[in-house]
Amino acid sequence: MNSIMTIAKRDFKSGFATPKSGAVLFFFLLFMGLFFSSFVKTFIEFQARAGMMGGGGAPTMEQLIKAMFYNLHFILILIVPAVTMGTFAEEQKSQTLRLLQTAPIKAYEIVLGKFAAAAGLMGFVLLLSIGYPLFLKAHGTPDMGVVMSSYLGLFLLICAQISLGIWISSLTKNQFLAFIFTMFGLFMMLVLDFISKAVTTSGGQIEGVLQYFGTTKHLDVFFKGLITVGDSMFFVLFTAMFLFFTTVTLDSRRWK
Amino acid sequence: MNMIEVSGLSKSFGANRVLEGVSFVVPKGTVVGFLGANGAGKTTTMDILCGCIGADQGEVKIAGYDITDQDLEAKRRLGYLPDVPPLYGELTVQESVKFSAEINGLHSSKIKSRLSQVLERLSLGEVRGKLVGNLSKGFRQRVALAQALVHDPEVLILDEPTEGLDPHQILQMRELIKSLRGDHTVLLSSHILSEIQNVADSIIIINRGKVVTHGTYEDLTSKFEGKRAYKVRVGNSYENALAALRNLPEISELKLSDDRSISFNLSSANEMGLDRVAKTVVDGGFGLRELSQTSKSLEDVFYQLTR
Repeated sequence: MNSIMTIAKRDFKSGFATPKSGAVLFFFLLFMGLFFSSFVKTFIEFQARAGMMGGGGAPTMEQLIKAMFYNLHFILILIVPAVTMGTFAEEQKSQTLRLLQTAPIKAYEIVLGKFAAAAGLMGFVLLLSIGYPLFLKAHGTPDMGVVMSSYLGLFLLICAQISLGIWISSLTKNQFLAFIFTMFGLFMMLVLDFISKAVTTSGGQIEGVLQYFGTTKHLDVFFKGLITVGDSMFFVLFTAMFLFFTTVTLDSRRWK
Repeated sequence: MNMIEVSGLSKSFGANRVLEGVSFVVPKGTVVGFLGANGAGKTTTMDILCGCIGADQGEVKIAGYDITDQDLEAKRRLGYLPDVPPLYGELTVQESVKFSAEINGLHSSKIKSRLSQVLERLSLGEVRGKLVGNLSKGFRQRVALAQALVHDPEVLILDEPTEGLDPHQILQMRELIKSLRGDHTVLLSSHILSEIQNVADSIIIINRGKVVTHGTYEDLTSKFEGKRAYKVRVGNSYENALAALRNLPEISELKLSDDRSISFNLSSANEMGLDRVAKTVVDGGFGLRELSQTSKSLEDVFYQLTR
């Protein structure tokens, strides 16, 4: 446990000591701010237009919040790969992984330490976005239960995305390749629900399986203000599975 | 007691066979040189010894613990300085060494005192607050060695520790490695022959993935041909002395050297022949000035074994 914390602390601190984290935070806040202001502007315009037409069909605050969180899901596809691409690829390239591999610690401790650092960094990024729902609360009456469940869902999604990114990073020494393949993987997770209909016969078993492995359907539940065991477990198991794959990847170098 | 035991180590990367039946032992408290040309298999052997990669066949024991089945116990007793120093440029010197201490399981109550000891021993005190990424190559190498030493391991594996250092830094590093003898068991790899000759108690030579010889420097230089090289310097009549010595059956490869002394080889099984050499020179009235053994250089041995 100590080793996990030691590795997590070093990675977290190093994450903030390099320009990469600054760039991640900057672009996250930039994209988030641009989209949010655009959504709020559209929301106000549509409300005003609906008001002139008697109030029917006016967009609700819930719709605005949902749009904001869907947008956040999309932004994460760009941000998470930037955070995870170096976790193992950089350590392999600079040979610092040998320092960890020759220490009396298990491979899973290395993996969990790196996961905790990346999750901590992304948790901090997520925390920064709380300003947007707080802005809405100051100017309206958003359902804070929905906001909180959405944040929980997003954090679980981030954990799953990080675990996939870390696994891909463990497969290569090239950070750029890790970034590209992670982004592709996360994009597939986002669109699997939509493309399942196109690639399978309607209502077939394969469509159901593909939809299950897409993240959108599970995240929708949290965005509705619901926290279910099934959808939470999807993200937890997804995370555990890719952390396990990463551990196996590291350990496999020592196999005879 | 042997602190490193390697038996029958083999490793291939794809179709490329890198190690083939490598076996050797390193006794406790000694510094053993691991000598080989670039690509001979030194780094692969060391990576296997430290548990970074697995071998296809064979067994490695560190302080009696199998590196595969009892890896944590073996690694607790191991410090490794790889050929590329494993350093995080964004950490300070002190943070780097402390991180290594923590992941190597050094108890928190001991970290502070041990950190000071190691930084002082490696003359890193004045740069302890500097970022590793801003240090010179020599300092970086010392930081990496501090990382390997901080948990006071019984076994140290150093892969080309003087690579890229200037002559002054090389001397410092050699002195440091010599000072580790006794408290630590050191396996030191290099392709620089003089370095091994100066520092190591015994030498393992590896070539194309196989151990070709193992012994002390004196053993290697003498046993290698089963003959010992000598020279005799006479006061006068060099040519006559040469002719007189030529009659002795136990000596061979007799020749006049540039410094006008006569060099010859003597079978190691017939050292009484030295008496006859001395008697021949004295009785012949050539004037015996010097009779000494000239060691065959490690370069000679290395090139003959690895060509």
